[in-house]
Amino acid sequence: MFALLAKFRNTLSRERALGVAKGKRRYDLPLTGGSSNSFLRLLIGLMSILGMLALAASFALSAMTTRWEQGLADKITIEIPASDSAGEMIAASSVRSMTDDAAKIIGARGDVLEAEIMEESHVRELLSPWLGEDMVMDSIPIPGIISVTFEKGTKPDIKALEAEIKEVAPRARIDTHESWLSEVARFTGALQFAAILLGLIISVTTLVAVAGGVRSKLSENKEELELLHLMGASDSYIAKQLQRHTLILSLQGGIIGVIGGAVLLFIIGMVAGNMGVNLVPDFKLGADQKIMLILLPLPIAALAMFTARFTVMRVLTKMP
Amino acid sequence: MIRYEHVGLRYGIGPEVLEDINFQLDPGSFHFLSGPSGAGKTSLLSLMYLGRMPTRGLIQMFGQNIGELGRDQLAAMRQRVGVVFQDFRLLNHMSAFDNVALPLRIQGRPEKEIQNNVAELLDWVGLGDQKYALPNTMSGGQQQRVAIARAVITRPRLLLADEPTGNLDDEIGFRLMALFDQLNKMGTTVVIATHNQAIIDKFGHKRMILEKGRLHIEEPTKHGLRKRLEGVY
Repeated sequence: MFALLAKFRNTLSRERALGVAKGKRRYDLPLTGGSSNSFLRLLIGLMSILGMLALAASFALSAMTTRWEQGLADKITIEIPASDSAGEMIAASSVRSMTDDAAKIIGARGDVLEAEIMEESHVRELLSPWLGEDMVMDSIPIPGIISVTFEKGTKPDIKALEAEIKEVAPRARIDTHESWLSEVARFTGALQFAAILLGLIISVTTLVAVAGGVRSKLSENKEELELLHLMGASDSYIAKQLQRHTLILSLQGGIIGVIGGAVLLFIIGMVAGNMGVNLVPDFKLGADQKIMLILLPLPIAALAMFTARFTVMRVLTKMP
Repeated sequence: MIRYEHVGLRYGIGPEVLEDINFQLDPGSFHFLSGPSGAGKTSLLSLMYLGRMPTRGLIQMFGQNIGELGRDQLAAMRQRVGVVFQDFRLLNHMSAFDNVALPLRIQGRPEKEIQNNVAELLDWVGLGDQKYALPNTMSGGQQQRVAIARAVITRPRLLLADEPTGNLDDEIGFRLMALFDQLNKMGTTVVIATHNQAIIDKFGHKRMILEKGRLHIEEPTKHGLRKRLEGVY
Protein backbone atom coordinates (compact mmCIF):
# COMPACT_ATOMS: atom_id res chain seq x y z
CA MET A 1 0.00 0.00 0.00
CA PHE A 2 2.73 2.42 0.94
CA ALA A 3 4.51 1.71 -2.34
CA LEU A 4 1.35 2.77 -4.16
CA LEU A 5 1.32 5.96 -2.17
CA ALA A 6 4.95 6.75 -2.89
CA LYS A 7 4.06 9.58 -5.25
CA PHE A 8 2.59 11.45 -2.31
CA ARG A 9 5.78 11.26 -0.37
CA ASN A 10 7.15 14.54 0.86
CA THR A 11 10.53 15.24 2.17
CA LEU A 12 10.62 15.61 5.92
CA SER A 13 12.93 18.57 5.92
CA ARG A 14 10.31 20.88 7.33
CA GLU A 15 9.34 18.45 10.07
CA ARG A 16 12.93 18.03 11.05
CA ALA A 17 13.45 21.75 11.18
CA LEU A 18 10.43 22.05 13.46
CA GLY A 19 11.40 19.10 15.57
CA VAL A 20 8.14 17.34 14.88
CA ALA A 21 9.35 14.15 13.38
CA LYS A 22 12.87 13.88 14.65
CA GLY A 23 14.21 10.56 15.71
CA LYS A 24 14.67 11.70 19.29
CA ARG A 25 12.25 10.12 21.70
CA ARG A 26 9.85 12.29 23.55
CA TYR A 27 7.22 11.32 26.05
CA ASP A 28 4.02 9.87 24.71
CA LEU A 29 2.29 11.13 27.82
CA PRO A 30 2.13 14.89 28.39
CA LEU A 31 4.62 14.87 31.24
CA THR A 32 6.53 18.06 30.64
CA GLY A 33 5.39 21.33 32.16
CA GLY A 34 3.02 21.73 35.06
CA SER A 35 3.49 22.73 38.67
CA SER A 36 3.84 19.14 39.87
CA ASN A 37 7.19 18.92 38.08
CA SER A 38 8.50 22.01 39.90
CA PHE A 39 7.20 20.58 43.16
CA LEU A 40 9.03 17.29 42.64
CA ARG A 41 12.22 19.12 41.64
CA LEU A 42 12.05 21.31 44.74
CA LEU A 43 11.24 18.38 46.98
CA ILE A 44 14.20 16.36 45.73
CA GLY A 45 16.40 19.45 46.12
CA LEU A 46 15.37 19.86 49.74
CA MET A 47 15.74 16.15 50.43
CA SER A 48 19.24 16.29 48.95
CA ILE A 49 20.15 19.19 51.25
CA LEU A 50 18.80 17.34 54.28
CA GLY A 51 20.57 14.18 53.16
CA MET A 52 23.85 16.06 52.77
CA LEU A 53 23.53 17.58 56.23
CA ALA A 54 22.73 14.22 57.79
CA LEU A 55 25.61 12.54 55.98
CA ALA A 56 28.04 15.34 56.86
CA ALA A 57 26.94 15.12 60.52
CA SER A 58 27.49 11.40 60.41
CA PHE A 59 31.00 11.91 58.98
CA ALA A 60 31.76 14.49 61.67
CA LEU A 61 30.59 12.24 64.49
CA SER A 62 32.52 9.32 63.10
CA ALA A 63 35.67 11.46 62.83
CA MET A 64 35.15 12.81 66.34
CA THR A 65 34.81 9.34 67.86
CA THR A 66 37.82 8.06 65.97
CA ARG A 67 39.97 10.95 67.09
CA TRP A 68 38.94 10.62 70.71
CA GLU A 69 39.54 6.90 70.60
CA GLN A 70 42.89 7.35 68.90
CA GLY A 71 43.85 10.07 71.38
CA LEU A 72 43.29 7.78 74.33
CA ALA A 73 44.41 4.55 72.78
CA ASP A 74 47.48 2.96 74.39
CA LYS A 75 47.15 5.36 77.31
CA ILE A 76 46.39 4.73 80.95
CA THR A 77 46.36 6.93 84.02
CA ILE A 78 47.59 5.65 87.35
CA GLU A 79 46.16 7.38 90.39
CA ILE A 80 47.70 7.11 93.86
CA PRO A 81 44.95 8.35 96.22
CA ALA A 82 45.87 10.73 99.01
CA SER A 83 43.82 8.86 101.58
CA ASP A 84 44.01 5.37 103.03
CA SER A 85 41.27 2.73 103.11
CA ALA A 86 39.92 4.19 106.35
CA GLY A 87 39.55 7.61 104.72
CA GLU A 88 42.44 9.11 106.67
CA MET A 89 44.64 11.53 104.79
CA ILE A 90 48.09 10.32 103.82
CA ALA A 91 50.99 12.65 104.10
CA ALA A 92 51.88 14.35 100.86
CA SER A 93 55.46 13.02 101.11
CA SER A 94 54.14 9.44 101.34
CA VAL A 95 51.93 9.98 98.31
CA ARG A 96 54.91 11.36 96.40
CA SER A 97 57.07 8.41 97.48
CA MET A 98 54.43 5.86 96.39
CA THR A 99 54.02 7.72 93.11
CA ASP A 100 57.78 7.62 92.47
CA ASP A 101 57.88 3.87 93.24
CA ALA A 102 55.01 3.22 90.89
CA ALA A 103 56.74 5.32 88.21
CA LYS A 104 59.88 3.22 88.64
CA ILE A 105 57.87 0.02 88.03
CA ILE A 106 56.38 1.58 84.91
CA GLY A 107 59.73 2.86 83.75
CA ALA A 108 61.24 -0.62 84.06
CA ARG A 109 58.80 -2.03 81.51
CA GLY A 110 59.90 -2.43 77.92
CA ASP A 111 56.53 -1.61 76.36
CA VAL A 112 56.18 1.91 77.75
CA LEU A 113 56.77 4.76 75.36
CA GLU A 114 56.33 7.53 77.85
CA ALA A 115 55.47 7.86 81.53
CA GLU A 116 55.07 11.18 83.23
CA ILE A 117 54.28 12.06 86.79
CA MET A 118 51.85 14.93 86.70
CA GLU A 119 53.21 17.92 88.62
CA GLU A 120 51.22 18.83 91.69
CA SER A 121 50.84 22.35 90.37
CA HIS A 122 49.37 20.99 87.17
CA VAL A 123 46.88 18.85 89.09
CA ARG A 124 45.90 21.87 91.20
CA GLU A 125 45.44 23.85 88.03
CA LEU A 126 43.12 21.17 86.66
CA LEU A 127 41.13 21.09 89.88
CA SER A 128 40.92 24.86 90.34
CA PRO A 129 37.75 25.34 88.27
CA TRP A 130 35.88 23.11 90.72
CA LEU A 131 37.59 23.97 93.98
CA GLY A 132 38.51 27.57 93.47
CA GLU A 133 41.92 29.19 93.67
CA ASP A 134 41.86 30.36 97.25
CA MET A 135 43.86 29.07 100.14
CA VAL A 136 41.67 25.99 100.57
CA MET A 137 43.50 24.38 97.68
CA ASP A 138 46.75 24.26 99.61
CA SER A 139 45.16 22.29 102.45
CA ILE A 140 43.69 19.64 100.18
CA PRO A 141 45.91 16.60 99.65
CA ILE A 142 46.56 16.01 96.00
CA PRO A 143 46.69 12.45 94.62
CA GLY A 144 49.68 11.26 92.66
CA ILE A 145 48.94 10.88 88.97
CA ILE A 146 51.05 9.15 86.37
CA SER A 147 50.16 9.42 82.72
CA VAL A 148 51.44 6.39 80.79
CA THR A 149 51.65 5.89 77.05
CA PHE A 150 52.43 2.40 75.83
CA GLU A 151 54.13 1.54 72.57
CA LYS A 152 51.58 1.50 69.77
CA GLY A 153 49.79 -1.80 69.34
CA THR A 154 51.01 -3.37 72.59
CA LYS A 155 48.39 -4.95 74.76
CA PRO A 156 49.68 -4.80 78.32
CA ASP A 157 48.13 -6.97 81.02
CA ILE A 158 46.55 -4.18 83.04
CA LYS A 159 45.45 -6.44 85.90
CA ALA A 160 48.97 -7.79 86.38
CA LEU A 161 50.36 -4.26 86.21
CA GLU A 162 47.84 -3.03 88.76
CA ALA A 163 48.75 -5.90 91.12
CA GLU A 164 52.42 -5.03 90.73
CA ILE A 165 51.82 -1.34 91.51
CA LYS A 166 49.58 -2.17 94.46
CA GLU A 167 52.65 -3.75 96.11
CA VAL A 168 54.16 -0.26 96.45
CA ALA A 169 50.93 1.74 96.55
CA PRO A 170 48.12 -0.45 97.93
CA ARG A 171 45.25 1.91 96.92
CA ALA A 172 46.55 2.67 93.46
CA ARG A 173 43.97 2.64 90.62
CA ILE A 174 44.51 2.30 86.91
CA ASP A 175 42.12 4.12 84.61
CA THR A 176 42.14 2.83 81.05
CA HIS A 177 39.51 5.46 80.04
CA GLU A 178 37.35 2.63 78.77
CA SER A 179 34.23 3.65 80.64
CA TRP A 180 34.55 7.27 79.48
CA LEU A 181 35.22 6.17 75.93
CA SER A 182 32.25 3.83 75.98
CA GLU A 183 30.08 6.71 77.20
CA VAL A 184 31.37 8.85 74.35
CA ALA A 185 30.86 5.99 71.91
CA ARG A 186 27.29 5.54 73.15
CA PHE A 187 26.63 9.26 72.78
CA THR A 188 28.09 9.56 69.32
CA GLY A 189 26.44 6.27 68.38
CA ALA A 190 23.07 7.72 69.38
CA LEU A 191 23.76 10.81 67.28
CA GLN A 192 24.80 8.66 64.34
CA PHE A 193 21.65 6.59 64.74
CA ALA A 194 19.67 9.82 64.65
CA ALA A 195 21.48 10.74 61.43
CA ILE A 196 20.64 7.34 59.94
CA LEU A 197 17.04 7.76 61.08
CA LEU A 198 16.96 11.14 59.40
CA GLY A 199 18.31 9.50 56.25
CA LEU A 200 15.54 6.91 56.43
CA ILE A 201 12.91 9.59 56.96
CA ILE A 202 14.30 11.44 53.94
CA SER A 203 14.11 8.25 51.88
CA VAL A 204 10.57 7.44 52.96
CA THR A 205 9.43 11.03 52.40
CA THR A 206 10.98 10.97 48.92
CA LEU A 207 9.34 7.64 48.23
CA VAL A 208 5.89 8.75 49.36
CA ALA A 209 6.10 12.11 47.61
CA VAL A 210 7.32 10.61 44.35
CA ALA A 211 4.68 7.88 44.45
CA GLY A 212 2.03 10.53 45.09
CA GLY A 213 3.39 12.73 42.31
CA VAL A 214 3.43 9.85 39.83
CA ARG A 215 -0.08 8.78 40.80
CA SER A 216 -1.31 12.32 40.33
CA LYS A 217 0.45 12.51 36.92
CA LEU A 218 -1.16 9.26 35.88
CA SER A 219 -4.52 10.42 37.12
CA GLU A 220 -4.17 13.72 35.20
CA ASN A 221 -3.35 11.76 32.06
CA LYS A 222 -5.68 8.82 32.56
CA GLU A 223 -7.13 8.97 29.05
CA GLU A 224 -3.73 9.14 27.40
CA LEU A 225 -2.51 6.31 29.58
CA GLU A 226 -5.47 4.13 28.62
CA LEU A 227 -4.93 4.94 24.98
CA LEU A 228 -1.30 3.85 25.09
CA HIS A 229 -2.37 0.70 26.86
CA LEU A 230 -5.01 -0.03 24.20
CA MET A 231 -2.51 0.57 21.42
CA GLY A 232 -0.41 -2.24 22.79
CA ALA A 233 2.13 -0.35 24.88
CA SER A 234 3.50 -2.77 27.44
CA ASP A 235 3.54 -1.84 31.11
CA SER A 236 7.27 -1.56 30.89
CA TYR A 237 7.10 0.81 27.90
CA ILE A 238 4.80 3.17 29.81
CA ALA A 239 6.74 2.81 33.06
CA LYS A 240 10.00 3.71 31.30
CA GLN A 241 8.60 7.09 30.31
CA LEU A 242 7.61 7.94 33.87
CA GLN A 243 10.91 6.54 35.15
CA ARG A 244 12.93 8.67 32.79
CA HIS A 245 10.86 11.75 33.52
CA THR A 246 11.22 11.25 37.28
CA LEU A 247 14.94 10.55 36.99
CA ILE A 248 15.55 13.76 35.04
CA LEU A 249 13.50 15.86 37.47
CA SER A 250 15.24 14.23 40.43
CA LEU A 251 18.68 14.87 39.01
CA GLN A 252 17.78 18.50 38.34
CA GLY A 253 16.49 18.80 41.91
CA GLY A 254 19.57 16.96 43.16
CA ILE A 255 21.95 19.42 41.49
CA ILE A 256 20.09 22.31 43.09
CA GLY A 257 20.24 20.43 46.40
CA VAL A 258 23.99 19.78 46.16
CA ILE A 259 24.69 23.44 45.52
CA GLY A 260 22.40 24.50 48.37
CA GLY A 261 23.83 21.85 50.69
CA ALA A 262 27.43 22.85 49.89
CA VAL A 263 26.69 26.50 50.65
CA LEU A 264 24.97 25.53 53.89
CA LEU A 265 27.82 23.26 55.00
CA PHE A 266 30.32 26.01 54.21
CA ILE A 267 28.34 28.47 56.34
CA ILE A 268 28.01 25.96 59.19
CA GLY A 269 31.76 25.30 59.01
CA MET A 270 32.50 29.01 59.15
CA VAL A 271 30.14 29.67 62.05
CA ALA A 272 31.46 26.68 64.04
CA GLY A 273 35.05 27.79 63.38
CA ASN A 274 34.36 31.33 64.58
CA MET A 275 32.70 30.09 67.77
CA GLY A 276 36.04 28.65 68.92
CA VAL A 277 34.46 25.55 70.35
CA ASN A 278 37.20 23.29 71.73
CA LEU A 279 34.98 20.51 72.95
CA VAL A 280 35.00 18.75 69.61
CA PRO A 281 38.10 18.20 67.54
CA ASP A 282 38.54 20.12 64.31
CA PHE A 283 36.65 18.50 61.50
CA LYS A 284 37.41 18.66 57.81
CA LEU A 285 35.77 16.57 55.11
CA GLY A 286 38.07 14.25 53.21
CA ALA A 287 38.06 14.10 49.42
CA ASP A 288 36.18 10.79 49.42
CA GLN A 289 33.59 12.21 51.78
CA LYS A 290 33.15 15.27 49.60
CA ILE A 291 32.62 13.00 46.60
CA MET A 292 30.04 11.00 48.55
CA LEU A 293 28.19 14.19 49.44
CA ILE A 294 28.25 15.42 45.86
CA LEU A 295 27.03 12.07 44.57
CA LEU A 296 24.26 11.83 47.16
CA PRO A 297 21.54 12.95 44.72
CA LEU A 298 22.29 9.88 42.58
CA PRO A 299 20.89 7.33 45.04
CA ILE A 300 18.03 9.73 45.80
CA ALA A 301 17.27 10.02 42.08
CA ALA A 302 17.57 6.25 41.68
CA LEU A 303 15.17 5.77 44.58
CA ALA A 304 12.74 8.21 42.97
CA MET A 305 13.08 6.46 39.63
CA PHE A 306 12.37 3.01 41.00
CA THR A 307 9.48 4.36 43.04
CA ALA A 308 8.03 5.84 39.84
CA ARG A 309 8.38 2.51 38.07
CA PHE A 310 6.83 0.56 40.92
CA THR A 311 3.92 3.02 41.16
CA VAL A 312 3.21 2.94 37.42
CA MET A 313 3.35 -0.83 37.31
CA ARG A 314 0.90 -1.02 40.20
CA VAL A 315 -1.50 1.43 38.57
CA LEU A 316 -1.31 -0.41 35.25
CA THR A 317 -2.17 -3.76 36.77
CA LYS A 318 -5.64 -2.34 37.36
CA MET A 319 -6.07 -2.21 33.58
CA PRO A 320 -6.98 -5.48 31.79
CA MET B 1 -9.08 -16.28 13.53
CA ILE B 2 -11.44 -14.59 15.97
CA ARG B 3 -13.89 -16.79 17.76
CA TYR B 4 -16.36 -15.89 20.48
CA GLU B 5 -18.12 -18.65 22.35
CA HIS B 6 -20.84 -17.90 24.88
CA VAL B 7 -19.25 -14.58 25.70
CA GLY B 8 -20.97 -12.35 28.22
CA LEU B 9 -20.06 -8.95 29.63
CA ARG B 10 -21.46 -7.09 32.56
CA TYR B 11 -20.29 -3.91 34.29
CA GLY B 12 -19.95 -4.41 38.01
CA ILE B 13 -23.00 -6.13 39.43
CA GLY B 14 -25.36 -4.81 36.74
CA PRO B 15 -27.13 -6.93 34.16
CA GLU B 16 -25.23 -8.39 31.23
CA VAL B 17 -24.83 -5.86 28.44
CA LEU B 18 -23.68 -8.63 26.13
CA GLU B 19 -25.33 -12.00 26.43
CA ASP B 20 -24.09 -15.26 25.04
CA ILE B 21 -22.26 -13.81 22.06
CA ASN B 22 -21.16 -16.42 19.53
CA PHE B 23 -19.47 -15.68 16.24
CA GLN B 24 -16.39 -16.32 14.20
CA LEU B 25 -14.54 -13.88 11.98
CA ASP B 26 -12.45 -15.46 9.26
CA PRO B 27 -9.18 -13.88 8.27
CA GLY B 28 -9.71 -11.19 5.68
CA SER B 29 -13.45 -10.85 6.33
CA PHE B 30 -15.30 -7.53 6.40
CA HIS B 31 -18.27 -6.95 8.67
CA PHE B 32 -20.42 -4.02 9.56
CA LEU B 33 -21.56 -3.95 13.16
CA SER B 34 -24.90 -2.30 13.58
CA GLY B 35 -27.78 -2.10 15.95
CA PRO B 36 -29.76 0.46 17.86
CA SER B 37 -28.11 2.81 20.33
CA GLY B 38 -27.43 1.07 23.62
CA ALA B 39 -27.41 -2.38 22.02
CA GLY B 40 -23.81 -2.95 23.11
CA LYS B 41 -21.81 -2.13 19.97
CA THR B 42 -19.17 -0.15 21.83
CA SER B 43 -18.97 -2.84 24.53
CA LEU B 44 -18.47 -5.54 21.92
CA LEU B 45 -15.79 -3.45 20.22
CA SER B 46 -14.06 -2.90 23.57
CA LEU B 47 -13.91 -6.66 24.01
CA MET B 48 -12.52 -7.00 20.51
CA TYR B 49 -9.73 -4.47 21.06
CA LEU B 50 -9.05 -6.02 24.47
CA GLY B 51 -10.04 -2.94 26.37
CA ARG B 52 -12.11 -5.19 28.58
CA MET B 53 -12.14 -8.82 29.51
CA PRO B 54 -15.38 -10.81 29.25
CA THR B 55 -17.14 -11.86 32.41
CA ARG B 56 -17.78 -15.27 30.86
CA GLY B 57 -17.13 -17.26 27.73
CA LEU B 58 -14.17 -17.95 25.51
CA ILE B 59 -12.45 -15.50 23.19
CA GLN B 60 -9.85 -16.70 20.75
CA MET B 61 -7.84 -14.20 18.73
CA PHE B 62 -5.26 -15.13 16.16
CA GLY B 63 -5.33 -18.69 17.44
CA GLN B 64 -4.81 -17.85 21.09
CA ASN B 65 -7.18 -17.95 24.01
CA ILE B 66 -6.92 -14.48 25.48
CA GLY B 67 -7.80 -15.75 28.95
CA GLU B 68 -4.52 -17.62 29.02
CA LEU B 69 -2.29 -14.73 27.96
CA GLY B 70 0.03 -12.80 30.24
CA ARG B 71 0.11 -8.99 30.31
CA ASP B 72 2.95 -8.67 27.81
CA GLN B 73 1.29 -11.14 25.45
CA LEU B 74 -1.95 -9.19 25.68
CA ALA B 75 -0.03 -6.00 24.85
CA ALA B 76 1.49 -7.73 21.82
CA MET B 77 -1.99 -8.91 20.83
CA ARG B 78 -3.33 -5.34 21.05
CA GLN B 79 -0.58 -4.23 18.66
CA ARG B 80 -2.19 -6.39 16.00
CA VAL B 81 -5.47 -4.54 16.34
CA GLY B 82 -6.08 -1.08 14.91
CA VAL B 83 -8.92 0.93 16.40
CA VAL B 84 -10.71 4.05 15.27
CA PHE B 85 -12.53 5.35 18.32
CA GLN B 86 -15.79 7.19 18.01
CA ASP B 87 -14.35 10.15 19.91
CA PHE B 88 -10.98 9.79 18.06
CA ARG B 89 -8.95 9.82 21.29
CA LEU B 90 -6.04 11.73 19.81
CA LEU B 91 -3.25 12.95 22.05
CA ASN B 92 -3.62 16.71 22.08
CA HIS B 93 -0.05 17.43 23.10
CA MET B 94 1.27 15.70 19.99
CA SER B 95 1.21 16.78 16.37
CA ALA B 96 -0.85 14.87 13.84
CA PHE B 97 2.38 13.27 12.67
CA ASP B 98 3.32 12.03 16.13
CA ASN B 99 -0.20 10.77 16.78
CA VAL B 100 -0.05 8.65 13.66
CA ALA B 101 3.53 7.58 14.43
CA LEU B 102 2.65 6.48 17.96
CA PRO B 103 1.65 2.86 17.24
CA LEU B 104 4.85 2.38 15.24
CA ARG B 105 6.93 3.82 18.06
CA ILE B 106 5.20 1.57 20.54
CA GLN B 107 6.12 -1.34 18.31
CA GLY B 108 9.71 -0.11 18.25
CA ARG B 109 9.88 0.33 14.48
CA PRO B 110 12.94 2.09 13.02
CA GLU B 111 12.58 5.86 12.95
CA LYS B 112 13.33 6.05 9.23
CA GLU B 113 10.45 3.72 8.46
CA ILE B 114 8.22 5.80 10.72
CA GLN B 115 9.19 9.04 8.98
CA ASN B 116 8.44 7.63 5.53
CA ASN B 117 5.27 5.73 6.24
CA VAL B 118 3.58 8.34 8.38
CA ALA B 119 4.28 11.12 5.92
CA GLU B 120 2.90 9.04 3.06
CA LEU B 121 -0.24 8.10 4.91
CA LEU B 122 -0.92 11.64 6.07
CA ASP B 123 -0.56 12.82 2.50
CA TRP B 124 -2.95 10.15 1.39
CA VAL B 125 -5.65 11.06 3.87
CA GLY B 126 -5.31 14.66 2.74
CA LEU B 127 -3.44 15.96 5.76
CA GLY B 128 -0.01 16.38 4.21
CA ASP B 129 -0.05 20.06 5.07
CA GLN B 130 -1.28 19.48 8.61
CA LYS B 131 1.52 17.27 9.87
CA TYR B 132 2.62 19.65 12.58
CA ALA B 133 -0.85 20.71 13.60
CA LEU B 134 -2.05 19.84 17.06
CA PRO B 135 -5.33 17.93 17.06
CA ASN B 136 -7.25 20.60 18.96
CA THR B 137 -6.53 23.04 16.13
CA MET B 138 -8.03 20.69 13.55
CA SER B 139 -11.62 20.25 12.45
CA GLY B 140 -13.61 17.18 13.50
CA GLY B 141 -13.18 15.65 10.07
CA GLN B 142 -9.43 16.21 10.11
CA GLN B 143 -9.15 14.71 13.56
CA GLN B 144 -11.09 11.70 12.37
CA ARG B 145 -8.70 11.22 9.47
CA VAL B 146 -5.74 11.38 11.85
CA ALA B 147 -7.45 8.76 14.02
CA ILE B 148 -8.02 6.54 11.01
CA ALA B 149 -4.43 6.97 9.83
CA ARG B 150 -3.22 6.04 13.30
CA ALA B 151 -5.37 2.91 13.27
CA VAL B 152 -4.12 1.67 9.91
CA ILE B 153 -0.48 2.76 10.01
CA THR B 154 0.70 -0.60 11.39
CA ARG B 155 -1.35 -2.58 8.86
CA PRO B 156 -3.18 -4.34 11.68
CA ARG B 157 -4.53 -7.84 11.31
CA LEU B 158 -7.82 -6.67 12.75
CA LEU B 159 -9.20 -3.21 12.19
CA LEU B 160 -12.07 -1.98 14.32
CA ALA B 161 -13.79 1.31 13.72
CA ASP B 162 -16.58 2.92 15.68
CA GLU B 163 -18.60 5.22 13.41
CA PRO B 164 -15.51 6.15 11.38
CA THR B 165 -17.29 8.23 8.78
CA GLY B 166 -19.54 10.09 11.18
CA ASN B 167 -17.88 13.49 10.83
CA LEU B 168 -16.74 13.24 7.25
CA ASP B 169 -18.23 14.55 4.08
CA ASP B 170 -19.30 11.98 1.51
CA GLU B 171 -16.20 12.21 -0.63
CA ILE B 172 -13.71 11.78 2.22
CA GLY B 173 -15.95 9.12 3.80
CA PHE B 174 -15.95 7.22 0.54
CA ARG B 175 -12.15 7.45 0.23
CA LEU B 176 -11.67 6.17 3.76
CA MET B 177 -14.07 3.30 3.23
CA ALA B 178 -12.04 2.52 0.16
CA LEU B 179 -8.91 2.53 2.32
CA PHE B 180 -10.54 0.07 4.71
CA ASP B 181 -11.55 -2.05 1.76
CA GLN B 182 -8.01 -1.94 0.39
CA LEU B 183 -6.61 -3.03 3.75
CA ASN B 184 -9.21 -5.78 3.82
CA LYS B 185 -8.08 -7.00 0.43
CA MET B 186 -4.54 -7.15 1.78
CA GLY B 187 -5.73 -9.54 4.45
CA THR B 188 -6.83 -7.31 7.31
CA THR B 189 -10.03 -8.37 9.00
CA VAL B 190 -12.31 -5.34 9.31
CA VAL B 191 -15.24 -4.65 11.60
CA ILE B 192 -16.93 -1.28 11.30
CA ALA B 193 -19.62 -0.19 13.71
CA THR B 194 -21.94 2.19 11.94
CA HIS B 195 -25.47 3.50 11.86
CA ASN B 196 -25.00 4.65 8.30
CA GLN B 197 -27.37 2.46 6.32
CA ALA B 198 -26.25 4.00 3.04
CA ILE B 199 -22.68 2.86 3.60
CA ILE B 200 -23.82 -0.58 4.71
CA ASP B 201 -25.93 -0.91 1.58
CA LYS B 202 -23.29 0.54 -0.70
CA PHE B 203 -20.43 -1.66 0.42
CA GLY B 204 -22.32 -4.91 0.66
CA HIS B 205 -20.56 -6.76 3.45
CA LYS B 206 -21.91 -9.06 6.13
CA ARG B 207 -23.67 -7.39 9.05
CA MET B 208 -23.27 -8.22 12.68
CA ILE B 209 -26.47 -7.01 14.25
CA LEU B 210 -26.61 -6.43 17.97
CA GLU B 211 -29.96 -6.14 19.63
CA LYS B 212 -30.47 -6.08 23.38
CA GLY B 213 -27.06 -7.57 23.98
CA ARG B 214 -27.51 -10.44 21.55
CA LEU B 215 -25.79 -10.82 18.20
CA HIS B 216 -26.74 -12.34 14.92
CA ILE B 217 -25.04 -12.15 11.53
CA GLU B 218 -26.78 -11.27 8.28
CA GLU B 219 -25.56 -11.83 4.76
CA PRO B 220 -25.12 -8.73 2.57
CA THR B 221 -28.12 -7.33 0.75
CA LYS B 222 -28.47 -8.10 -2.93
CA HIS B 223 -28.13 -4.40 -3.69
CA GLY B 224 -24.90 -4.20 -1.77
CA LEU B 225 -23.55 -7.33 -3.35
CA ARG B 226 -24.32 -5.99 -6.81
CA LYS B 227 -22.52 -2.75 -5.99
CA ARG B 228 -19.49 -4.68 -4.80
CA LEU B 229 -19.43 -6.84 -7.90
CA GLU B 230 -19.72 -3.75 -10.04
CA GLY B 231 -16.70 -2.36 -8.21
CA VAL B 232 -18.24 0.99 -7.41
CA TYR B 233 -15.37 1.89 -5.15
